[in-house]
Amino acid sequence: MTPAASPSPARNRLAGTGAVLTLAVLLLLPSAGVPSNVIRLLLGTFLWVAASLAWNLLGGVTGQVSFGFAVFYGLGAYTAAFAISGGVNPYVAFAAAGLVAALGSILIGIPTFRLRGPYFAIATIGVNEAIRIVMSNLAITGGASGYRLPAAGRFSQAEHYYTALGIAAVAFLVSWYVMRSPFGLALRAIREDQDAAADLGVHPFRCKLTVHALSAFLTGMAGGAFARYTAYIHPDGVFSFATGISILLMPVIGGLGTLPGPVIGAIIYSIVQEEMVVNFPQFHLLLYGALLILIVLFEPGGLVGLAKRLARSVRGRMTGGPGEPAVARARLGKVGP
Amino acid sequence: MGLTDLLNLLVAAILLAGIYTTMSMGMTVIYGVMKMVNLAHAGFMMLGAYFALELSQRTPIDPLAASVLAVPLFFLLGVATYWTMVRFVPVADEPTLPSLLLLFGLWLVLQNVGYIVWGADDRSILTAMTMATLRFGGITIPIIRLIVFGIAVLSFVALQLFLNHTWFGRSVRALTQNREAGQLVGIDTRRTAMLTFGLGIAFTGLAGALLATLYSFTPDFGASFMLRSFVIIVLGGLESFSGVAIGAVIVALIETFSILVVPASYQLAISFILLVVALLVLPGGIEGLLQRRRLQR
Repeated sequence: MTPAASPSPARNRLAGTGAVLTLAVLLLLPSAGVPSNVIRLLLGTFLWVAASLAWNLLGGVTGQVSFGFAVFYGLGAYTAAFAISGGVNPYVAFAAAGLVAALGSILIGIPTFRLRGPYFAIATIGVNEAIRIVMSNLAITGGASGYRLPAAGRFSQAEHYYTALGIAAVAFLVSWYVMRSPFGLALRAIREDQDAAADLGVHPFRCKLTVHALSAFLTGMAGGAFARYTAYIHPDGVFSFATGISILLMPVIGGLGTLPGPVIGAIIYSIVQEEMVVNFPQFHLLLYGALLILIVLFEPGGLVGLAKRLARSVRGRMTGGPGEPAVARARLGKVGP
Repeated sequence: MGLTDLLNLLVAAILLAGIYTTMSMGMTVIYGVMKMVNLAHAGFMMLGAYFALELSQRTPIDPLAASVLAVPLFFLLGVATYWTMVRFVPVADEPTLPSLLLLFGLWLVLQNVGYIVWGADDRSILTAMTMATLRFGGITIPIIRLIVFGIAVLSFVALQLFLNHTWFGRSVRALTQNREAGQLVGIDTRRTAMLTFGLGIAFTGLAGALLATLYSFTPDFGASFMLRSFVIIVLGGLESFSGVAIGAVIVALIETFSILVVPASYQLAISFILLVVALLVLPGGIEGLLQRRRLQR
């Protein structure tokens, strides 16, 4: 992405209109007689969109890859589950879920952000696995047999749907705001060159902790909504390494560091998940692995990068000039420190 | 808890350290020359385990002999992996994100190909020696562990000789110490990297096959061992070959003796906590710590 990309006002307005229209359609869907399994698929997608956007703030914008977001998803899920079981209002419970996850992220971040990029990434694998093992062995989480939420009132799919949509919308707005704020510029500066950023007065450690907490808050809320919807969670599910991988895969597939990328990645992920998990339980992870390899080797900008490249070559052909070279190739290389 | 029990634990820890060294060597040579953390380590270990299983089931070859046969095969596999994928990833003085993601993707592919080919059932390899033990006074030593330890030590010694007495070994050590200086004196970095990747995977395959004779396994096999390998090479200082042996002994001792204080189900968590602690307080590993001490004097 060009530094501090500021698209033309016309394109800005177009994107804004598109977002509002999409939101309007999504709001109307449940009352438009759409089949409930479609609603269910969308609901799951919204939660993944939220987690994917959240991860992108840390991994894509700031360039700090974490394999450990399952921790925040799991913390959020369990916090919400306990709070709702204790009779707390579900929406207060979601906020609590986000706060606990954010608190967790600070506790994890203080030691691990002393490590530079790749070492941070590997440390997060260790943190995630350690926490998962501890959680599977604690009595209060229900251990390996899981935790069941009490049924509270009538089950309303539409309510869950709107909750998930709301969380995704919050994640989108927060991402949009952060990415165009001075704070977002500082984060990008850290991604490009941490030492240079520090010389210019950015405090890398503090910025990383803040964005980590923000990401964790959003992921925790998504986890909380997930727990309330499924009404049954267990540590090897929400805290699993696979959950962390999924959250990382979506923005990478879609396009790191961009706003539409994580959303597109999450949508594709959810659809593939829906189609494949039932029929070929192992095949979908195989597919993600292959996709990851292909993206690293051929299109580090993800699907958004691919689309940009295609658009450029089409435009180049129409004006008769040569298409611009694929600058996207160098992008992922730059994301690391 | 008597003295014999403690001695038994100590012997078990040392025998474990042998195989831990072998599996971590594969990771450390690759890290040394290419500065890549091989996140596909677990996948290749799993393949090594199933290689030993298939060979011992289909042919009269003993699984332990099969583990030795894995070495040349996995060397070629490693070279092929380098040639088709790894060489396209940028290299730097520390691991790059694309290399992490690529090797991680490769792990996912290998693991799930494993599930498709072999299913999710727990497998294990029984050898004639699986149940046999040696006894010295109160100390019991499973023979299979002793043999695995022997093979592990032999492979470690062979690698040391190889690194210290061949030109390829010299170029590996040179690139590990200083990549640019190595290039300046005319080392073919690509070729060395390719052969090193092959060598690393060969060790990984050997370790997987050896571990398969000790533990049961599924296509998910190797994940915890991969993280342990990483703990070990971090403790060893990331690119020191002798440091790996020290790291392996430390991890094996801590894991084995932690049974006395922590429930067995938390045992894995200890390695992971150790990983984070090692990364934080020992950036140069044990070797680095010793060197600093020496310099201070």
